[in-house]
Amino acid sequence: MKPTVLAPRSGLLLATAILLAGCDGPQSALAPAGDGAERIANLFWWMLGGSAVIWTLVLGLAAYVTRFSRGKHSLVASRWLILGGGVVFPTVVLSALLIYGLMLIPALRTPEDVGMRVEVSGEQWWWRVHYPSPDGGGPIELANEVRLPLGERVAFDLLSPDVIHSFWVPSLAGKVDMIPGRTTELIVQPTQLGTFRGACAEYCGTAHALMNFQVVVMEPAAFERWLAHQAEPAQPPRSEIAQRGLESFLANGCGACHAIRGTEADGRLGPDLTHVGSRLGLGADVLPNTTEAFVRWIGHTDRIKPDVRMPAYGMLPDDELAALATYLSELE
Amino acid sequence: MLRQVERLPRRIAGYFRHVLRCLTGGSWWRGIALLGGLLTATVLGALFVAWTGLVSVSAHTEHWAVTRWFLGFAMRNAVETQSIGIEPPRLDDRTLVLKGAGHYETGCAACHGAPGKPRSLIVQHMIPSPPYLPDHLEQWDPSELFWIVHNGLKYTAMPAWPAYERKDEVWAMVAFLQRLPTMTPAEYEALAFGPTPAPGDGGSSALLDTLSDPLGPVLADCARCHGAEGLGRGAGAFPKLAGQSETYLLESLRAYANGARKSGVMQPIAAGLDDEVLQRLARHYAQLPADATVPATDEADEAVEYDEAELAQALRLAEHGAAERGVPSCTDCHGPKSGPINPAYPAIAGQYAEYLALQLELFKSGHRGGTDYANVMHSAAQRLTPEQIDQLARYYASQPWEAIERVTEPRD
Ligand code: HEC
Ligand code: HEC
Ligand code: HEC
Ligand code: HEC
Ligand SMILES: [Cu+2]
Repeated sequence: MKPTVLAPRSGLLLATAILLAGCDGPQSALAPAGDGAERIANLFWWMLGGSAVIWTLVLGLAAYVTRFSRGKHSLVASRWLILGGGVVFPTVVLSALLIYGLMLIPALRTPEDVGMRVEVSGEQWWWRVHYPSPDGGGPIELANEVRLPLGERVAFDLLSPDVIHSFWVPSLAGKVDMIPGRTTELIVQPTQLGTFRGACAEYCGTAHALMNFQVVVMEPAAFERWLAHQAEPAQPPRSEIAQRGLESFLANGCGACHAIRGTEADGRLGPDLTHVGSRLGLGADVLPNTTEAFVRWIGHTDRIKPDVRMPAYGMLPDDELAALATYLSELE
Repeated sequence: MLRQVERLPRRIAGYFRHVLRCLTGGSWWRGIALLGGLLTATVLGALFVAWTGLVSVSAHTEHWAVTRWFLGFAMRNAVETQSIGIEPPRLDDRTLVLKGAGHYETGCAACHGAPGKPRSLIVQHMIPSPPYLPDHLEQWDPSELFWIVHNGLKYTAMPAWPAYERKDEVWAMVAFLQRLPTMTPAEYEALAFGPTPAPGDGGSSALLDTLSDPLGPVLADCARCHGAEGLGRGAGAFPKLAGQSETYLLESLRAYANGARKSGVMQPIAAGLDDEVLQRLARHYAQLPADATVPATDEADEAVEYDEAELAQALRLAEHGAAERGVPSCTDCHGPKSGPINPAYPAIAGQYAEYLALQLELFKSGHRGGTDYANVMHSAAQRLTPEQIDQLARYYASQPWEAIERVTEPRD
């Protein structure tokens, strides 16, 4: 008798554990690692708890009148129940929720005590990122990755040159649309170190599902070092093969679309590649950042990302692709 | 008597009705069965006659007059109906006429003759035989001519345009056909073959040198359109080849030959030559001295005006592209820039503006094709506006055809 009861019970436990594990991870609003996400998660848990209580109550009542007290009920008591439970109670609960929700918003929006402003532009199908220069000069352009100092309030200015995208890092904050011709704002205050995942959350064309990025929350000192390094021009090629990679990059006109600061390449159509080797992923986080992945990306761009706005260079000889990949992956 | 004649049709109809009723007993079903039977018998009979081998397929005898009338009737109506809605572009353009004339000599004159060149006796024994065109064009308007030249005519030897997507080339042919009826032999000669080089000038001696070479006749043919010095024919009908990158020339000729680059004019020419000849042709044109001057505009057209302010704006566009529209910089791939360029990328400075604009439109519409690198240029041209195409074409045409530094490593 015992084992037959245990089997379904342990199965249920296992299933719950697996389902709950899905709530964790680098891209979960239920595992908050930022001020905004925490407030949203709090709101969610309160609502979940509240709805559980109300649900139990309503079902309990229904069970009571259909099973345990089947006789006639007092008309007056019923009227009070309908008025109280159907009008007064929802009005009070929903108004309370609304007020609580509205009270959360100013804290997520006020630009007071914002430490840094980062501009992110959603483009089909990657992210253009501008950080303020550490030495007070013009902004520095990066792409497809965001890094943040732990505990600092950072304002994101969100833009789009083409269609509506949406900027969403579930672990850190709510999502905000990026609308052509407008600047929208999102404030993020990370509360935990770690690497989180962001994605475009508004359908924006063929490769919408392939438009992601990573967010790294770092100790403030490490962040300063990182930003100072990103502000520097690219390091010159260190090996002969990397040197050939740079020459091939320039001779094939990659510089018409890509900039590598410190070389003649100054194109603005695609992501800045000055420090592409230091990113965690490639092609808006659809490939890992390895030399082989660079070869795949450059040679089969359109197969990895349909309709991508970069022509595939599969016609280049293998050794030239390898040289390009070596050069680019060394740009840390 | 008169009344009898008046009644005749009615009597014949009555007679037929009578016969039909006898055969079918007045039943619909029997009527249908009878019709089916007759049809089957006809088809089987025709198959039988064909099987016996007695059908006349000889081109020695003409069609019967009624057959000829019927075929002409069907063709004329088909062309009329199916050319409805075709809008001709401006056709009184010398560049179009020149291109059409060049190809007429390659692809049509052998069948249809030309001013001063009667049709060959052999062609006259085809059924239907291709008409001597100069006398035969009045009956067609430009849209109909376009349809015929684009589609060809089934059951005759009239071929369709080899590169069906290149409608611009078909219109060039139509522009030429518009002029053909009144053209003198000398005019035709000048259009289709170009000026005969005066003895003693550099180009002709270069040509004469090559005539002793087995490549000579081939080069003489190229010279009809591309000029003896590889500088084209003054108008933008034919691109300059002199001084162009050898790799690009060779890969383009191969692309024409294998159909990867679409052109009803160049594909038949390149497809008829073997690879070794293509290699020698590419080397020959790459070594010819590039033209240091801005292209001479055709005498017939007004000189092209290049406005300074407009040029400065075009230069900015060429150097920086239009990032907000997704147009990349052109100079990174076509110069002028410091540092070497992939030899598979063509030089375009000093090329004819009309030719450049046409190629850009073809890239934009996805109809150009090209070498293994063509997708790179298709992507670059995809979001150009017509104004930008015009601006860029005129900008590059106004620049001297300068030697571009090339990556020297041997490829492929
Ligand atoms: C016509 C413009 C264009 C040209 C030319 C071009 N690219 Fe790109 N490239 C892009 C665009 C746009 C993207 C972003 C694609 C996406 O993720 O949607 C990109 C992305 C990339 C990335 C990924 C960057 C990242 O942040 O992960 C690499 C690496 C790259 N290109 C290398 C090259 C190389 C090497 C060449 C020359 C052989 C080249 N590109 C030529 C437009 C271009
Ligand atoms: C192999 C021989 C051949 C070649 C090459 C050829 N044609 Fe024809 N063409 C014909 C024949 C056959 C007809 C049909 C004549 C008929 O139906 O009576 C024809 C009909 C035509 C007609 C309709 C003339 C009329 O009034 O019936 C036009 C126009 C024409 N060709 C233009 C061209 C052009 C332009 C070219 C070159 C691109 C060309 N043809 C190449 C054989 C040829
Ligand atoms: C009947 C005229 C004609 C003849 C003859 C001719 N060409 Fe062409 N050629 C053209 C035209 C028109 C084009 C442009 C075609 C296009 O739009 O793609 C062209 C294009 C080319 C191109 C591509 C140039 C570029 O910048 O992309 C090459 C190379 C070329 N021709 C070589 C030759 C050679 C070699 C010969 C001799 C074997 C030859 N042509 C004979 C008319 C001709
Ligand atoms: C990333 C490199 C690249 C960029 C950027 C680029 N091109 Fe090209 N272009 C090419 C290549 C490669 C070809 C040869 C394609 C073929 O025929 O296979 C070409 C061909 C052309 C041709 C045809 C030349 C001929 O002789 O037929 C024209 C015209 C041209 N490009 C103009 C432009 C203009 C204008 C721009 C700027 C808007 C531009 N290109 C940007 C690589 C590029
Ligand atoms: Cu999207």
